[in-house]
Amino acid sequence: MITVSHLSKTYHNADGSSLTVLKDINCEIQRGEVISIIGPSGTGKSTFLRALNLLDPPTGGSIIVDGEDILVNANANAIAKLRQKMGMVFQSFNLFEHMTVLENVMYAPVKIRKESKEQAREEALALLKKVGLVEKADVYPSSLSGGQKQRVAIARALAMHPEAILFDEPTSALDPTMVGEVLSVIRQLAKSGLTMLIVTHEMRFARDVSTRIFFMNEGIIYEDGTPEQIFDHPVHSATKAFVNRIQKLVFEIDSDDFDYLQIHTGINQFCLKYNLTQGEHAYALIKEVLFTHMLTIRPLTLRMTHAELSGVTAVDFMVENMDHSPLSDAARASLRPQVKDLIEEPTTRGFRVKLII
Amino acid sequence: MKKKWIYLLLTACLLWSCSGNEEQTLVLNSEADLSGLRIATQSGSCYDIELSPRTDIELQRFNTLSDAIQALRHGNADVLLNDEMALNAYICREQGIKPILRGEKAYPTSFMFQKDDKVFPEAFSATLKRLKAEGTYDRIIDYWLNDRYIDADTFPSIPVPTEGEPIRVANVCATAPLSFMSGGEWYGLEMDLLREFANDLNRPLDIKFYDVTAAIMSIKTNKADILSGGVFITPERQQEFSFGEPYYDFHSTYFALDRDSENNKGGFVARCKHAIQKNLIAEDRWRFVTDGLLLTLIISFFAILFGSLFGIVVYRMGESRLRWARSIAKVYNGFIAGIPELVLLLVLFYVVFAKSGLSAEVVAIIAFAMCFASSAADIYKTALDAVPHGQTEAGLALGFTPVQTFFNIIFPQAVKRGLPLYKGLCINILKATSIVGYIAIQDLTRAGDLIRSRTFDALVPLLVVTVLYFLLVWLLTALFNLATKKKKVL
Repeated sequence: MITVSHLSKTYHNADGSSLTVLKDINCEIQRGEVISIIGPSGTGKSTFLRALNLLDPPTGGSIIVDGEDILVNANANAIAKLRQKMGMVFQSFNLFEHMTVLENVMYAPVKIRKESKEQAREEALALLKKVGLVEKADVYPSSLSGGQKQRVAIARALAMHPEAILFDEPTSALDPTMVGEVLSVIRQLAKSGLTMLIVTHEMRFARDVSTRIFFMNEGIIYEDGTPEQIFDHPVHSATKAFVNRIQKLVFEIDSDDFDYLQIHTGINQFCLKYNLTQGEHAYALIKEVLFTHMLTIRPLTLRMTHAELSGVTAVDFMVENMDHSPLSDAARASLRPQVKDLIEEPTTRGFRVKLII
Repeated sequence: MKKKWIYLLLTACLLWSCSGNEEQTLVLNSEADLSGLRIATQSGSCYDIELSPRTDIELQRFNTLSDAIQALRHGNADVLLNDEMALNAYICREQGIKPILRGEKAYPTSFMFQKDDKVFPEAFSATLKRLKAEGTYDRIIDYWLNDRYIDADTFPSIPVPTEGEPIRVANVCATAPLSFMSGGEWYGLEMDLLREFANDLNRPLDIKFYDVTAAIMSIKTNKADILSGGVFITPERQQEFSFGEPYYDFHSTYFALDRDSENNKGGFVARCKHAIQKNLIAEDRWRFVTDGLLLTLIISFFAILFGSLFGIVVYRMGESRLRWARSIAKVYNGFIAGIPELVLLLVLFYVVFAKSGLSAEVVAIIAFAMCFASSAADIYKTALDAVPHGQTEAGLALGFTPVQTFFNIIFPQAVKRGLPLYKGLCINILKATSIVGYIAIQDLTRAGDLIRSRTFDALVPLLVVTVLYFLLVWLLTALFNLATKKKKVL
């Protein structure tokens, strides 16, 4: 359906300097594929997606859609036609603020596809039902939550009967509590056979929903394969490092005067960022360990870790220059029922107590 | 609620303007008797200069004669010093004042011409000589200065040629008996003299009513040949202009409130009725108001129309990628922001378009459109910048072309944000057009001036004009509110 070869994009700044975001992108996308594009920030994932529908026109290479190179003889009408086939969902929703939810969804079908208002309304209501927002049809976007806005945006894109939809970080601007509702709508769509390209940071979602993964790094598609290949058996070390990356939160506790309120805030923010629900549980455990089981042991290093792909979250206490576990049998007995696993291990620098939660 | 307040205001003003009390009319035997009195006069006039050396009086200087009269009427001054031609019997009767003493000083009066003009002054002297020899002069003077015209419904008028190059007259006086308008025609002592003059030269007359400053400008810039309106011949003026032979010597005269006048008596209703009769009904004076209203509307409408369109050009240039286009827009906006509208209007009329032959109305439209465009460009920018870029992207991504995206998605949102500002701008420009009187356009404000200079009643014409402007603005606001009503998009 879409063949991309040697695609490149260079920004020229006013001061004469230039920045190459896309170096040499080559790929082929078949009808019905669901492709997630993952990779570190600033590697051109969004730029690549926006190059495909020419919102950010590339500066080199070719994009062939249904046998035609869209970069050759691209006039305004031809580009508009192309975009009608390729819907887009934005990170910042971009709903039309002066229209109701229903009008947002039916506007383009009426204006561009020249559908009758009755037909467009019927279809729009069906789509709103699909995304669970039919009761909000007559309100203005300003009164919706972020998650609701994004679901309307998805319905709006679907209303044009596109052959493919491009999702540009659809959940990045959302409050963590709302990510789920949007992802479940996209999950539903993925099953319907629609061609989809999704730029996302949600690793587990990408693995579950995609037929293929593009790992982008430094302006090229570094590795391209099925979710199993990319997540379980990556070929390149950069891919491996990225998919297995572990998010950390570290506190050094030198004396009893440490700022435990700061730990509380830190943990809450960390949990919010990675959509974790164990924040209060982790804090309670930390308090118990620090003030009961390891009260005499200072200094120590407290870490909270989260492996995105496996979803494993842990709290560990690292004590330097110690060769035995600081925990008493009573402490173990108290902690064990509260955690998934309790690991006590010596390391090169000292001894670590790790609570998997 | 609003209406109630307007009525209340009107009533209060009328009551105040008509208030008076029961006393005897002041008597003066000589100029020495003035000692200790409050004397109202027009600032900068000959009478101001005449009285300035006296230290035993309280001299009150007013910008216009009607202000001075109102001061006298409301008891803020005891005596008014002016001359017998401006304050003729008709006005005295209408205003309830009367002459009580003829001053010592007399002022020779004639028409004023361009400095190097020798032909017109000599021709006028010849005309005057002929009129005096024929006895026509005595008839004209007798008719206009002995108050014979006061109760006339129509006035004698001498036909003038209609073919040929017109003699351009900048007239600064709209007061009987010298020159005044009635039913769209000019009449009066000076007008009779000018008509005789035009007949001698066999050329038509083109008489325009000017503000004094503007009239002097027009003589200096060769936009007019003759300045009329009772110009006293003074040595200072003779250095800058040339004069015809004086046709009359006017004496300075002292006036006081006439306690016996019917105008200072009578009930409130009768006085209101009289005020309306005098200011609006007599000689169809309401026509000044309706004609002025129409001109104000026409000038405002076209200024807004062309200003809005030109504003698009200014906005586009300001946002252009080309450095020179941006610079032009910047200089233009700075230029307009830095000059008062009045100055811009005068510069355009007397300098830029001086030789173009464009009518004053067209020049006014150009001037106000230029001002409007500069502010409109700012509003366009504010309104369009307030629409997030994401809206454009969303429109494009759905498959609208850039042009469709602008008109279907961006423009409606920008209008919503910009319309309140735009409304304010329209109202401002409507009110700003009240200065076009400076280039001899008889708009609504000028209509009030014209009536006032005829009736010497400051309040009623001003009130009528005020209420009309208020209604215009109210109407405009209502129109905009109608436009901003929430409409269905689909």
